[in-house]
Amino acid sequence: MSITITNLRKYYGKSAAVDDFTLEIPSATVFGLLGPNGAGKTTTFKCMLGLARPTSGRILYDGKPLMPATFEQIAYVPERSVLYDWMTVEEHVEMNRRAFAKFSPARAFELLETFNVERQKRARALSKGMRTAVMVAMAFARNAEILVLDEPTGGLDPVNQRHVLSLMINEAAKGNSIIFSSHQIGQVERAAENIAVMDRGRLVLEGLVDDLKADRKIVEGIFPDVTFTLDGIANDPRVARSDRTERIVRLLVTGGAADIASRLSSAGAMAVRVLDLNLEDIFLYAVSPANATTDVVVRESSS
Amino acid sequence: MPAILTVDPRSGVPIYLQIIEQIKRSIALGVLQVGEQLPTVKQLAIDLTVNPNTVARAYRDLERDQVIETAPGRGSFVRANGLTESPRVAVEIGRDALDLALREAKAVGLTQSEIRELFEAALARWFGDFKK
Repeated sequence: MSITITNLRKYYGKSAAVDDFTLEIPSATVFGLLGPNGAGKTTTFKCMLGLARPTSGRILYDGKPLMPATFEQIAYVPERSVLYDWMTVEEHVEMNRRAFAKFSPARAFELLETFNVERQKRARALSKGMRTAVMVAMAFARNAEILVLDEPTGGLDPVNQRHVLSLMINEAAKGNSIIFSSHQIGQVERAAENIAVMDRGRLVLEGLVDDLKADRKIVEGIFPDVTFTLDGIANDPRVARSDRTERIVRLLVTGGAADIASRLSSAGAMAVRVLDLNLEDIFLYAVSPANATTDVVVRESSS
Repeated sequence: MPAILTVDPRSGVPIYLQIIEQIKRSIALGVLQVGEQLPTVKQLAIDLTVNPNTVARAYRDLERDQVIETAPGRGSFVRANGLTESPRVAVEIGRDALDLALREAKAVGLTQSEIRELFEAALARWFGDFKK
């Protein structure tokens, strides 16, 4: 099922949590939503699920608004787990069985075992990670077409984090859609095909992870002395940004890295390198264009 | 197969390109034999914990380059003479490796004639004396 978000706005009083956000989420994929704290990710999820009413804008599922029948197709893992402290894990499984027609208790118990959660334990006795694991197990036992996961690995150890990623890959292979947010960029980089980056309620970047990496490069030129001129290279539309310190210039380019590199050579650079950016670098550039440079690890391009 | 294929998602190189490169390399080195079956897209995606569409994209490009062939319902196989019949692939691997070496050599300030000397020495070492 595809999801179309058009001009979504959500105001709390006068402050905009989500500001004119438009996004198309294709079906049968893993979609990563990234953004700093307070960027509007959770609010977007809540609007998608009908848990918050948008101030304006539309959200359509396969072209239709959210209806009770659609809701049956969507499983949600909220950022903070919603469990009843006095109920056992087993009783939560039973509650889900009664609430959702396609819920599979057998699958839920199988997943709980994978995560090493004891079914007789009361929710109040579970650690933060175990609570997350219970929520994840319930969601993946729903046989839903869309899974919306808000920080689905919070508090989990690395082994269980990998379990969650594998579950997501499995669902995508079955043709279902996963939309998830995570502050662990490495997880998004591994599992997501598409990403969107939000910052202060707005969409600042979106695309296929592999294409973003293929397109975005740093072209670095080292000149013999400080008096060099760039001959307008920095004004090339493909140059998103240029940072110059003494004899070194670093250009963030979107496409055409080889061409820009040869132009730097012609301008007199004695050494020119094209550097790859990983998703963390790309993310940092997207959300803090003014001061991300120093955080970017220099790495020789091999593509 | 999982033993010879790994991806580094944190690298700046797109994952589908990493998969393509490693499969080509495995064929060139004989680790993957002609006619050998590749894992299914779904299986490889699960083994590597990467998106199935990303693996599918790598397989599509490998088919386009005539390195592998896919028989509907049977799976994907290494094509007979995939690498030698499609010289473009072999040339690509060689060119990329040379590019990398030249870029390094240039960056540390070697001159063209110094690089040429090194190159010819290396060529002689790998292919024996090549004087005409």
